[in-house]
Amino acid sequence: MIAYLFITNAFVAKTAIKEGLPAQAALLLGGALIAVFAVALAWQSLQILRVPGASGG
Amino acid sequence: MGTAARSVLVLAGLAILVAGAYVSFAQAGSGAQPWDPELSDNFVFMRVLPFVLGLGAVVGLFRAGGWKGTVRRGEEIRRFSLGTVIGHWIAAVGFLLALPTGLWQYLGGILDVHLDLPLYLIYRLHYIGAAIILFSVANFAAYWWSSGDRSLWPPRGEWRRHLAGFALEVPAPLGARLAAWLRLDLDTRPQAQRFTFYETAFSFPTWTFALALITVTGLLKAMRYIYPIPGPVLYWASTLHVAAMVLLTLKVLDHLRYTLARWPLMVAMTRGWISEGALRRMLDTTSRPGPRQAEPTLPAGTPAGVARGSER
Repeated sequence: MIAYLFITNAFVAKTAIKEGLPAQAALLLGGALIAVFAVALAWQSLQILRVPGASGG
Repeated sequence: MGTAARSVLVLAGLAILVAGAYVSFAQAGSGAQPWDPELSDNFVFMRVLPFVLGLGAVVGLFRAGGWKGTVRRGEEIRRFSLGTVIGHWIAAVGFLLALPTGLWQYLGGILDVHLDLPLYLIYRLHYIGAAIILFSVANFAAYWWSSGDRSLWPPRGEWRRHLAGFALEVPAPLGARLAAWLRLDLDTRPQAQRFTFYETAFSFPTWTFALALITVTGLLKAMRYIYPIPGPVLYWASTLHVAAMVLLTLKVLDHLRYTLARWPLMVAMTRGWISEGALRRMLDTTSRPGPRQAEPTLPAGTPAGVARGSER
Protein backbone atom coordinates (compact mmCIF):
# COMPACT_ATOMS: atom_id res chain seq x y z
CA MET A 1 0.00 0.00 0.00
CA ILE A 2 2.76 2.44 0.98
CA ALA A 3 4.85 1.36 -2.02
CA TYR A 4 1.83 1.85 -4.30
CA LEU A 5 1.23 5.37 -2.92
CA PHE A 6 4.90 6.27 -3.36
CA ILE A 7 5.09 4.96 -6.93
CA THR A 8 1.82 6.36 -8.25
CA ASN A 9 2.40 9.74 -6.65
CA ALA A 10 5.82 9.97 -8.27
CA PHE A 11 3.82 10.67 -11.45
CA VAL A 12 0.67 12.45 -10.27
CA ALA A 13 1.37 14.31 -7.01
CA LYS A 14 1.39 18.08 -7.56
CA THR A 15 3.96 18.71 -4.83
CA ALA A 16 6.44 16.25 -6.35
CA ILE A 17 5.88 17.62 -9.87
CA LYS A 18 6.43 21.15 -8.59
CA GLU A 19 9.69 20.12 -6.88
CA GLY A 20 10.95 18.54 -10.09
CA LEU A 21 12.43 15.34 -11.42
CA PRO A 22 14.71 14.52 -8.44
CA ALA A 23 11.73 14.54 -6.05
CA GLN A 24 9.71 12.35 -8.42
CA ALA A 25 12.64 9.97 -8.92
CA ALA A 26 13.16 9.75 -5.15
CA LEU A 27 9.50 8.82 -4.65
CA LEU A 28 9.71 6.22 -7.42
CA LEU A 29 12.94 4.71 -6.07
CA GLY A 30 11.66 4.70 -2.47
CA GLY A 31 8.40 3.06 -3.53
CA ALA A 32 10.16 0.44 -5.65
CA LEU A 33 12.56 -0.46 -2.83
CA ILE A 34 9.75 -0.71 -0.28
CA ALA A 35 7.86 -2.98 -2.72
CA VAL A 36 10.90 -5.26 -3.22
CA PHE A 37 11.57 -5.59 0.52
CA ALA A 38 7.86 -6.10 1.31
CA VAL A 39 7.62 -8.87 -1.32
CA ALA A 40 10.78 -10.50 0.09
CA LEU A 41 9.23 -10.48 3.58
CA ALA A 42 5.90 -11.83 2.30
CA TRP A 43 7.70 -14.59 0.37
CA GLN A 44 9.75 -15.52 3.44
CA SER A 45 6.63 -15.60 5.60
CA LEU A 46 4.88 -17.89 3.08
CA GLN A 47 7.90 -20.21 3.06
CA ILE A 48 7.72 -20.49 6.84
CA LEU A 49 4.00 -21.29 6.70
CA ARG A 50 4.40 -23.82 3.88
CA VAL A 51 7.55 -25.65 5.04
CA PRO A 52 7.63 -26.56 8.75
CA GLY A 53 11.11 -25.93 10.10
CA ALA A 54 12.01 -23.40 7.39
CA SER A 55 12.64 -20.87 10.11
CA GLY A 56 15.59 -22.82 11.46
CA GLY A 57 13.94 -23.61 14.79
CA MET B 1 30.68 1.39 40.44
CA GLY B 2 28.40 -0.69 42.67
CA THR B 3 24.82 -1.63 41.91
CA ALA B 4 23.50 0.77 44.57
CA ALA B 5 25.42 3.74 43.15
CA ARG B 6 24.29 2.90 39.62
CA SER B 7 20.68 2.58 40.81
CA VAL B 8 20.90 6.00 42.45
CA LEU B 9 22.19 7.40 39.15
CA VAL B 10 19.18 5.99 37.27
CA LEU B 11 16.73 7.23 39.92
CA ALA B 12 18.32 10.69 39.75
CA GLY B 13 17.97 10.66 35.94
CA LEU B 14 14.32 9.64 36.28
CA ALA B 15 13.63 12.32 38.91
CA ILE B 16 15.24 15.02 36.76
CA LEU B 17 13.19 13.87 33.75
CA VAL B 18 9.96 14.03 35.78
CA ALA B 19 10.82 17.51 37.09
CA GLY B 20 11.78 18.75 33.62
CA ALA B 21 8.64 17.28 32.05
CA TYR B 22 6.47 18.77 34.81
CA VAL B 23 7.85 22.28 34.21
CA SER B 24 7.45 21.95 30.42
CA PHE B 25 3.88 20.64 30.61
CA ALA B 26 2.94 23.21 33.25
CA GLN B 27 4.16 26.04 31.04
CA ALA B 28 2.41 24.65 27.95
CA GLY B 29 -0.83 24.06 29.86
CA SER B 30 -0.88 27.34 31.79
CA GLY B 31 -3.03 29.08 29.20
CA ALA B 32 -0.61 32.00 29.17
CA GLN B 33 1.12 30.93 25.94
CA PRO B 34 -0.22 31.88 22.49
CA TRP B 35 0.80 28.51 20.98
CA ASP B 36 -1.51 26.25 18.99
CA PRO B 37 -1.53 22.56 20.02
CA GLU B 38 1.05 21.60 17.36
CA LEU B 39 3.56 24.26 18.36
CA SER B 40 2.90 23.58 22.03
CA ASP B 41 3.73 19.88 21.52
CA ASN B 42 6.87 20.87 19.65
CA PHE B 43 8.08 23.01 22.54
CA VAL B 44 7.28 20.33 25.11
CA PHE B 45 9.12 17.74 22.99
CA MET B 46 12.23 19.89 22.59
CA ARG B 47 12.34 20.86 26.25
CA VAL B 48 11.88 17.32 27.54
CA LEU B 49 14.35 15.82 25.08
CA PRO B 50 17.61 16.61 26.96
CA PHE B 51 16.18 14.86 30.02
CA VAL B 52 15.07 11.86 27.93
CA LEU B 53 18.58 11.59 26.46
CA GLY B 54 20.06 11.93 29.95
CA LEU B 55 17.88 9.16 31.32
CA GLY B 56 18.80 6.94 28.37
CA ALA B 57 22.51 7.57 29.04
CA VAL B 58 22.32 6.72 32.75
CA VAL B 59 20.28 3.58 32.03
CA GLY B 60 22.99 2.56 29.53
CA LEU B 61 25.71 3.23 32.13
CA PHE B 62 23.71 1.22 34.70
CA ARG B 63 23.56 -1.74 32.31
CA ALA B 64 27.24 -1.47 31.37
CA GLY B 65 28.21 -1.72 35.05
CA GLY B 66 26.61 -5.15 35.21
CA TRP B 67 28.22 -6.37 31.98
CA LYS B 68 29.54 -9.94 32.42
CA GLY B 69 30.80 -11.00 29.00
CA THR B 70 30.31 -14.66 28.13
CA VAL B 71 27.59 -16.46 30.08
CA ARG B 72 26.65 -20.11 29.65
CA ARG B 73 23.85 -22.22 31.18
CA GLY B 74 24.17 -25.89 30.26
CA GLU B 75 23.59 -26.25 26.53
CA GLU B 76 22.37 -22.67 26.25
CA ILE B 77 24.35 -19.48 25.94
CA ARG B 78 23.23 -15.97 26.67
CA ARG B 79 22.92 -14.06 23.40
CA PHE B 80 21.30 -10.92 24.81
CA SER B 81 21.23 -9.52 28.34
CA LEU B 82 17.88 -8.72 29.96
CA GLY B 83 18.58 -4.99 29.49
CA THR B 84 19.19 -5.51 25.77
CA VAL B 85 15.98 -7.52 25.38
CA ILE B 86 13.94 -4.84 27.16
CA GLY B 87 15.78 -2.05 25.29
CA HIS B 88 15.13 -3.74 21.94
CA TRP B 89 11.37 -3.96 22.54
CA ILE B 90 11.21 -0.40 23.88
CA ALA B 91 12.86 0.72 20.63
CA ALA B 92 10.37 -1.44 18.69
CA VAL B 93 7.48 0.43 20.38
CA GLY B 94 9.16 3.70 19.37
CA PHE B 95 9.36 2.53 15.76
CA LEU B 96 5.72 1.38 15.84
CA LEU B 97 4.68 4.88 16.85
CA ALA B 98 7.14 7.03 14.88
CA LEU B 99 7.31 5.27 11.50
CA PRO B 100 3.59 5.05 10.58
CA THR B 101 2.91 8.60 11.85
CA GLY B 102 5.96 9.91 9.95
CA LEU B 103 4.81 8.15 6.78
CA TRP B 104 1.32 9.55 7.28
CA GLN B 105 2.59 13.11 7.68
CA TYR B 106 4.72 12.79 4.56
CA LEU B 107 2.16 11.06 2.36
CA GLY B 108 -0.65 13.24 3.72
CA GLY B 109 1.28 16.28 2.55
CA ILE B 110 2.07 14.79 -0.86
CA LEU B 111 -1.49 13.54 -1.44
CA ASP B 112 -3.14 16.51 0.25
CA VAL B 113 -5.37 14.09 2.16
CA HIS B 114 -6.42 14.71 5.75
CA LEU B 115 -8.03 12.52 8.41
CA ASP B 116 -10.89 13.67 10.60
CA LEU B 117 -8.33 13.37 13.38
CA PRO B 118 -6.54 16.70 14.02
CA LEU B 119 -3.01 16.72 12.58
CA TYR B 120 -1.44 17.72 15.89
CA LEU B 121 -2.45 14.33 17.35
CA ILE B 122 -0.47 12.56 14.60
CA TYR B 123 2.49 14.83 15.41
CA ARG B 124 2.03 14.14 19.12
CA LEU B 125 2.27 10.37 18.53
CA HIS B 126 5.28 10.98 16.29
CA TYR B 127 7.01 12.97 19.03
CA ILE B 128 6.27 10.27 21.62
CA GLY B 129 7.71 7.60 19.30
CA ALA B 130 10.73 9.79 18.51
CA ALA B 131 11.36 10.39 22.23
CA ILE B 132 11.29 6.62 22.86
CA ILE B 133 13.73 6.02 19.98
CA LEU B 134 16.05 8.78 21.22
CA PHE B 135 15.96 7.25 24.71
CA SER B 136 16.97 3.93 23.13
CA VAL B 137 19.75 5.52 21.07
CA ALA B 138 21.23 7.16 24.19
CA ASN B 139 20.77 3.95 26.20
CA PHE B 140 22.57 1.68 23.72
CA ALA B 141 25.26 4.25 22.84
CA ALA B 142 26.16 4.69 26.52
CA TYR B 143 26.04 0.94 27.12
CA TRP B 144 28.34 0.04 24.22
CA TRP B 145 30.70 2.94 24.90
CA SER B 146 31.02 2.11 28.60
CA SER B 147 31.09 -1.71 28.40
CA GLY B 148 33.51 -1.78 25.47
CA ASP B 149 31.37 -4.44 23.77
CA ARG B 150 32.00 -4.15 20.01
CA SER B 151 30.78 -7.61 19.01
CA LEU B 152 28.30 -6.23 16.47
CA TRP B 153 31.04 -4.42 14.53
CA PRO B 154 33.84 -6.02 12.54
CA PRO B 155 37.04 -5.65 14.61
CA ARG B 156 39.63 -3.17 13.38
CA GLY B 157 41.45 -4.45 10.29
CA GLU B 158 38.86 -7.19 9.67
CA TRP B 159 36.35 -5.37 7.48
CA ARG B 160 37.48 -7.20 4.33
CA ARG B 161 37.12 -10.60 6.01
CA HIS B 162 33.63 -9.72 7.22
CA LEU B 163 32.65 -8.33 3.81
CA ALA B 164 33.92 -11.56 2.19
CA GLY B 165 31.80 -13.55 4.65
CA PHE B 166 28.84 -11.31 3.85
CA ALA B 167 29.36 -11.89 0.11
CA LEU B 168 29.16 -15.64 0.79
CA GLU B 169 25.92 -15.25 2.76
CA VAL B 170 23.94 -13.33 0.14
CA PRO B 171 22.65 -14.99 -3.10
CA ALA B 172 25.58 -16.09 -5.29
CA PRO B 173 25.14 -13.62 -8.20
CA LEU B 174 24.94 -10.68 -5.80
CA GLY B 175 27.84 -11.98 -3.72
CA ALA B 176 30.04 -12.48 -6.79
CA ARG B 177 29.29 -8.97 -8.01
CA LEU B 178 30.04 -7.50 -4.59
CA ALA B 179 33.28 -9.49 -4.37
CA ALA B 180 34.39 -8.34 -7.83
CA TRP B 181 33.55 -4.73 -7.02
CA LEU B 182 35.40 -4.73 -3.67
CA ARG B 183 38.10 -7.22 -4.81
CA LEU B 184 37.28 -9.66 -2.02
CA ASP B 185 38.84 -13.08 -1.69
CA LEU B 186 36.03 -15.66 -1.62
CA ASP B 187 38.32 -18.71 -1.83
CA THR B 188 38.91 -18.76 1.89
CA ARG B 189 35.63 -19.09 3.69
CA PRO B 190 35.70 -17.01 6.89
CA GLN B 191 34.14 -18.50 9.99
CA ALA B 192 31.38 -16.55 11.70
CA GLN B 193 31.72 -16.16 15.46
CA ARG B 194 28.88 -14.76 17.52
CA PHE B 195 26.96 -13.11 14.73
CA THR B 196 26.56 -13.79 11.04
CA PHE B 197 28.59 -11.67 8.63
CA TYR B 198 25.30 -10.31 7.32
CA GLU B 199 24.75 -8.83 10.79
CA THR B 200 28.28 -7.48 11.36
CA ALA B 201 29.20 -6.28 7.86
CA PHE B 202 25.82 -5.06 6.67
CA SER B 203 22.85 -5.04 9.03
CA PHE B 204 24.25 -3.31 12.10
CA PRO B 205 26.29 -0.66 10.21
CA THR B 206 23.23 0.29 8.15
CA TRP B 207 21.04 0.44 11.29
CA THR B 208 23.63 2.76 12.83
CA PHE B 209 23.76 4.98 9.75
CA ALA B 210 19.97 5.21 9.39
CA LEU B 211 19.43 5.91 13.10
CA ALA B 212 22.17 8.55 13.17
CA LEU B 213 20.71 10.22 10.09
CA ILE B 214 17.13 10.28 11.38
CA THR B 215 18.28 11.49 14.81
CA VAL B 216 20.36 14.42 13.54
CA THR B 217 17.85 15.52 10.88
CA GLY B 218 14.89 15.05 13.24
CA LEU B 219 16.54 17.18 15.92
CA LEU B 220 17.31 19.93 13.38
CA LYS B 221 13.69 19.91 12.20
CA ALA B 222 12.23 19.87 15.70
CA MET B 223 14.42 22.67 17.05
CA ARG B 224 13.57 25.14 14.29
CA TYR B 225 11.05 27.02 16.45
CA ILE B 226 13.37 27.50 19.40
CA TYR B 227 16.56 28.21 17.43
CA PRO B 228 16.88 29.86 14.00
CA ILE B 229 17.91 27.18 11.48
CA PRO B 230 19.03 28.49 8.06
CA GLY B 231 16.54 27.70 5.27
CA PRO B 232 18.85 25.51 3.15
CA VAL B 233 19.89 23.50 6.23
CA LEU B 234 16.24 22.97 7.12
CA TYR B 235 15.41 21.97 3.54
CA TRP B 236 18.14 19.31 3.46
CA ALA B 237 17.31 18.17 7.00
CA SER B 238 13.69 17.61 5.92
CA THR B 239 14.70 15.83 2.72
CA LEU B 240 17.21 13.58 4.47
CA HIS B 241 14.74 12.91 7.30
CA VAL B 242 12.31 11.48 4.75
CA ALA B 243 15.16 9.49 3.13
CA ALA B 244 16.11 8.10 6.55
CA MET B 245 12.44 7.24 7.18
CA VAL B 246 12.32 5.22 3.94
CA LEU B 247 15.64 3.59 4.83
CA LEU B 248 14.34 2.61 8.28
CA THR B 249 11.15 1.22 6.71
CA LEU B 250 13.38 -0.95 4.49
CA LYS B 251 15.47 -1.93 7.51
CA VAL B 252 12.41 -3.00 9.51
CA LEU B 253 11.10 -5.09 6.59
CA ASP B 254 14.52 -6.68 6.05
CA HIS B 255 15.03 -7.23 9.80
CA LEU B 256 11.70 -9.09 9.99
CA ARG B 257 12.53 -11.14 6.87
CA TYR B 258 15.91 -12.14 8.28
CA THR B 259 14.89 -12.94 11.85
CA LEU B 260 11.60 -14.70 11.00
CA ALA B 261 13.63 -17.06 8.83
CA ARG B 262 15.94 -17.69 11.80
CA TRP B 263 13.39 -18.25 14.53
CA PRO B 264 15.92 -19.04 17.32
CA LEU B 265 17.15 -15.45 16.96
CA MET B 266 13.62 -14.17 17.51
CA VAL B 267 13.23 -16.41 20.58
CA ALA B 268 16.61 -15.20 21.87
CA MET B 269 15.34 -11.62 21.65
CA THR B 270 12.56 -12.51 24.09
CA ARG B 271 14.32 -14.98 26.40
CA GLY B 272 17.89 -13.72 26.04
CA TRP B 273 19.14 -17.33 25.73
CA ILE B 274 19.79 -19.46 22.66
CA SER B 275 20.64 -23.11 22.27
CA GLU B 276 24.26 -23.50 21.18
CA GLY B 277 23.26 -26.19 18.70
CA ALA B 278 20.60 -23.96 17.12
CA LEU B 279 23.08 -21.09 16.84
CA ARG B 280 25.72 -23.32 15.24
CA ARG B 281 23.18 -24.75 12.77
CA MET B 282 22.13 -21.22 11.87
CA LEU B 283 25.72 -20.03 11.34
CA ASP B 284 26.43 -23.20 9.38
CA THR B 285 23.53 -22.87 6.96
CA THR B 286 23.61 -19.10 6.47
CA SER B 287 26.87 -19.16 4.50
CA ARG B 288 27.60 -21.06 1.29
CA PRO B 289 31.04 -22.39 0.32
CA GLY B 290 33.37 -20.23 -1.76
CA PRO B 291 33.98 -20.94 -5.46
CA ARG B 292 36.78 -23.45 -4.84
CA GLN B 293 35.48 -25.01 -1.65
CA ALA B 294 33.55 -28.27 -1.50
CA GLU B 295 33.02 -28.62 2.25
CA PRO B 296 29.86 -26.74 3.23
CA THR B 297 29.96 -27.17 7.00
CA LEU B 298 31.88 -25.54 9.79
CA PRO B 299 34.54 -27.67 11.51
CA ALA B 300 32.74 -29.95 13.95
CA GLY B 301 35.24 -29.52 16.73
CA THR B 302 34.88 -25.80 17.28
CA PRO B 303 31.90 -25.33 19.55
CA ALA B 304 33.29 -22.66 21.82
CA GLY B 305 34.69 -20.58 18.99
CA VAL B 306 31.47 -20.70 17.05
CA ALA B 307 29.05 -20.03 19.80
CA ARG B 308 30.39 -17.80 22.48
CA GLY B 309 27.78 -16.00 24.51
CA SER B 310 27.19 -12.30 24.20
CA GLU B 311 25.93 -9.68 26.57
CA ARG B 312 25.25 -7.01 24.02
